[in-house]
Amino acid sequence: MRKTTVFTSILITALAASAVAGPGPGPARPAGVPELKGRLSLSGAWALYPLALKWAEEFQKLHPGVRIDVQAGGAGKGVADALAGVVDIGMLSRDIAPAETARGAVAVAVAKDAVVPTISRENPFLADILRRGLKRSEFAAIWIAQTLRSWDELFGRRPDRPIHVYTRSDACGAAETWAAFLGKRQEDLNGIGVYGDPGVADAVKRDPLGVGFNNINFAYDAKTKRPVEGLEVCPIDLDGNGSLDPRERVYATRGDIIKAIAADVYPSPPARELFFVLKGKPSAPALVEFLKWTLTGGQALVPDAGYLPLGKERLAQGLSAIGGADTPR
Amino acid sequence: MRRLVKDALARHGMSALAALPGLLVLVIVLGLFLKSRAILAVQPLSRLVFGTSWHPLRGEFGLLPFISGTVWVTVTALALAVPVSILTAIYLSEFAPRAVREGARPVVDVLAGLPSVVFGVWGVLVVVPFVGRFLAPLFGVASSGYSVLAAGIVLAIMIFPTVIHISLEVFASIPLSLREASLSLGATRWETVRHVVLRKGSQGILAASALGFSRAFGETMAVLMVAGNVPAVPKSLFDPGYPLPALIANNYGEMMSVPRYDSALMLAALVLLAVVLFFNVLARRILVRAERRSR
Repeated sequence: MRKTTVFTSILITALAASAVAGPGPGPARPAGVPELKGRLSLSGAWALYPLALKWAEEFQKLHPGVRIDVQAGGAGKGVADALAGVVDIGMLSRDIAPAETARGAVAVAVAKDAVVPTISRENPFLADILRRGLKRSEFAAIWIAQTLRSWDELFGRRPDRPIHVYTRSDACGAAETWAAFLGKRQEDLNGIGVYGDPGVADAVKRDPLGVGFNNINFAYDAKTKRPVEGLEVCPIDLDGNGSLDPRERVYATRGDIIKAIAADVYPSPPARELFFVLKGKPSAPALVEFLKWTLTGGQALVPDAGYLPLGKERLAQGLSAIGGADTPR
Repeated sequence: MRRLVKDALARHGMSALAALPGLLVLVIVLGLFLKSRAILAVQPLSRLVFGTSWHPLRGEFGLLPFISGTVWVTVTALALAVPVSILTAIYLSEFAPRAVREGARPVVDVLAGLPSVVFGVWGVLVVVPFVGRFLAPLFGVASSGYSVLAAGIVLAIMIFPTVIHISLEVFASIPLSLREASLSLGATRWETVRHVVLRKGSQGILAASALGFSRAFGETMAVLMVAGNVPAVPKSLFDPGYPLPALIANNYGEMMSVPRYDSALMLAALVLLAVVLFFNVLARRILVRAERRSR
């Protein structure tokens, strides 16, 4: 057991290194290995969607015979589709529920990211919010207890500017994770339910009094690495001392927040692991190969896509779960 | 002899095929019923249908917020769509020059063919801000715009084509001689429309509205994107609503992770199907009666 773990981690490091240092996009298939053929389909979490697209694109370059379709529709749909056998891989952005495991779902962690609260850049209290941040208890009062109803209560100025609270309408990991941060479940979150991660980002962007939550890859622009135009990440006053200390100022760029997650400054939840969900152990060669690749060579793409790569042990666990740790033929 | 066998075969084969769609509905109803038995076994139907609390993790599956959300949205849509559609159909059939009528038909049909998600996106970009920033302040209400009214407006635009199309058919079925008789008695065109065309076509218009209702009642994607999806009974047009189809579409994913959730969703689907079927049959019967009378 210990031996295979060590072996796989060496294998992973070697593969990852070769993927990083390797000769770019050229297919590095050893001669004599039959070309992979087949179709793979993925559906589910918005959080994983950009990364899955990236992976699909690269994997299809390596194996031109494989077609991969990726569809976003919320974490719940991912699990349901995978269990119903409609797709090969469900994308999941929350922990897997016991009831789902009982039905034969196997979850493999593939990367990490986080959910962040978001506000509009036109929020009349923007400067105050960015200086002070909001405490966890205040977020709970906004989303759960509904006792904090106006921005003015927070900052004590002119009365009567209500907080417009947004949440996700679709069964999703972001809401589940955000609710977990507040000690609850998605169904306990109050607020206007908007469909999809981009939907919430858009609603908050256009509502100066709005507050919502997004996966970091929908809160930050993939090109500029700064918050999406019109959107601002609402800082969390992690130690609850009423002001935002330098170590809590981790939201300027996507790189900063990722660093903060890696250093455990930004807590989990709202940071969380992202999973691929399979129905039982995979057997189709293209599927197995794709899964193995995402946990090995594919991990090199993770930071650039705006996620956190997993630790070696976690990757090795994943590989053994899909049966990828057996001796190479 | 062979010819007779062939004849019998053709007849029975085709009747079996013809029965298929009807059977399919039955199979779906039966399937939904069997699936929802799990929830009906632990909670009485009345508590499910009239319960207002939706907390699946606590085992509370009150469907009333969703049923009333559907009704609110649908009624709003109909109130907006039916008058406009009927006046449009009257204009096109009675007043418009031939070229306009022929030109308008494809336009209406294109509107009918647009995927609903397109209406949804358009609703989010245009209707939601319009309601939130313009209409709500006009009435002195605070609203984010994601509301019953926004959903009603989007839906109204979606059911225009259905209602216009059927109304046009109804008006076309009214014999020209009736109009000529009215005009020859000195009635103006508008009087003719009011006393002849509308009266003769009233049942057809009812049927058109009922079909529009069915379409609106079951519409999912566009409504889901603008309705606000808050599981509480709406109290005004500016409150968010959460229609039944949106409930099913949104939570289809969770149904594996919470006990009896799938069963509750199937019951919601059954309720939805029952209402739509009821109105379809009603519309059908009215149409048939109208046709019979016009002969």
